[in-house]
Amino acid sequence: MSADPTAGASGGAALRRALGLRTTVSTSAGLAFAALEYLAAAGLVGYVAGDSAWIAIGVAGLLALLAWGFFGELNGMFPTAAAIRLYMKRSMDDRVALIITFTYMTTIVLVIAADAFIVGTALAHAFGESGWVSALWIAGLLVLAVLSNLRGVSVAGWVQDLATYGVLAATVVVASAALLRSHHPLRFPLQPLHGHGLGSLVEAVALGVFLFSAFEWVTTSAEEVRRPEHVHRGMLVAVGLLFVVCSLATVAMSHVLDHHQLTSAYPQLLLGRAAFGRAGLWAMAGVTAVTALNTFNGGFITASRFVYGTAREGSLPRQLATLNDRAVPWVPVCALGVLALALALVVSLTHSWQLLVAVGAALEAMIYAVAAFCTLRLRRRSPEHPRPFRVRLAPVLSVVGIAVFGALAVVASVSVANRTDPVPLVVIAAAAAASSLYVLVVLPRVRAAEAARRAATPRRRPGRAVPAPGDGA
Amino acid sequence: MATPDELAEAYADWRRRSNENQRLKKMVRGWDRVIHFVPSDGVEAFTMEVRDQELGELRFGRVGTPDVVVTGSSEDFCDMFWGDLNPSEKYMSGEITLAGSQADVMRIDAISMVAFLDQ
Repeated sequence: MSADPTAGASGGAALRRALGLRTTVSTSAGLAFAALEYLAAAGLVGYVAGDSAWIAIGVAGLLALLAWGFFGELNGMFPTAAAIRLYMKRSMDDRVALIITFTYMTTIVLVIAADAFIVGTALAHAFGESGWVSALWIAGLLVLAVLSNLRGVSVAGWVQDLATYGVLAATVVVASAALLRSHHPLRFPLQPLHGHGLGSLVEAVALGVFLFSAFEWVTTSAEEVRRPEHVHRGMLVAVGLLFVVCSLATVAMSHVLDHHQLTSAYPQLLLGRAAFGRAGLWAMAGVTAVTALNTFNGGFITASRFVYGTAREGSLPRQLATLNDRAVPWVPVCALGVLALALALVVSLTHSWQLLVAVGAALEAMIYAVAAFCTLRLRRRSPEHPRPFRVRLAPVLSVVGIAVFGALAVVASVSVANRTDPVPLVVIAAAAAASSLYVLVVLPRVRAAEAARRAATPRRRPGRAVPAPGDGA
Repeated sequence: MATPDELAEAYADWRRRSNENQRLKKMVRGWDRVIHFVPSDGVEAFTMEVRDQELGELRFGRVGTPDVVVTGSSEDFCDMFWGDLNPSEKYMSGEITLAGSQADVMRIDAISMVAFLDQ
């Protein structure tokens, strides 16, 4: 509602604290480059021949650019942390929007759980501890994350810059060194289909999309940026960085690690060891731990504040909006910590992290398809709405986006580690069913209770009529 | 459209209520901020400052460099200060927009919620 949409939500006023382009890029790239990235990259190697996995990542990167266009336009229209609620609510039935949003929120729990598992396992391996000790690391990491969130600790912009660019640079150095020190030429770097079918390449692309996933979460920082265009420019640079780093890491892993190492829970440590021996292993253990900084910080804040906002809006029980003395919504933070811990321990026992990758890839592709749909729908429903950033050929590209991302979501949801497996689909269906049950059965009661509470609360403003229901009172 | 007098009266009530709330005082400990409220309907902008755990007096005009800028209708601001309006609902519907860090935005919402609901 700002007078000049191109001036951003501040209406052109310079804020005392605002994020520049550098931090916007690091936020976007940092949220995407979780510890799970290494395992997804290693998993992708199994789908294509030799060192050609970078081609699948390149195709996925082009698709990420398509998604970037949709998110850029939608974020420009709604430069707010609540953007996903706004553009979905205006594009479709609110109940459908809520079901999709709640289902998508599963991704955040998955990523936090997966990162806790990966970091815990990597640290246990680096210290030479037995497997069960990783469970203690996982619990310790998540308890630390929950406590720091409850105390309102958030990572400063410069720390985030240092962490993200440090992780990306270290990965590039280690991957390059591993390649150079192997003294072997690349095998089939341009023939992804050598010994594999086209279907495998499609599955590799679906998994590749996951490598870029969460780059769009930076749109929740739209209210903090110095200039509105920093968000879509930052996402663009982040997609480019992710392509370079992930491609290099994947090619290096496929080149120097064997199948057993690639399917381990810590291929990045083994890559580090191949590059620099024991020092490289420790360096990558440190890098893995640093990735958790962004995931835990961004994941906990994004999810808990979204739950808080939705509860304040009246779409979730009021108890979820209860604040502690540091103005932190403590119920969602604790619930997220408990859920992530339970999931991480299950993964630790079952070693089913590839299932998390598949579920995450499918949900991410789903939300990209939804973004394409919203872009198309809002072009028709709100053609006059200011759009500081517009996707060219939106009607065509939106349809392409819906079809391609929809298909990738289906492919990713029935494939785990290069074999057909419907379990990811079952997990997503269960999350969607739980969301639907809540939205269709429980939510009407929650809203009725809230309406009754408001009706029983006398209006305080003098000399004004009682507002009609839905006026926000 | 609310008049400046109505806004001033509403803000004075909000300020008194907030400053008397001990829990809220804990919540804003160390949170010294300048907040600009910019009505989108032509009413003059005004500034609120939080310093030493207290909400300061309302000053018309954009005073100082803001940490947060809140944009919305003067009617909504008035209703929010009286506790008759849930600002989160207006925010989630896009009728109130904010610029500033998420943590600061949370604190502003916390003030309006705790002052009236003590939640």
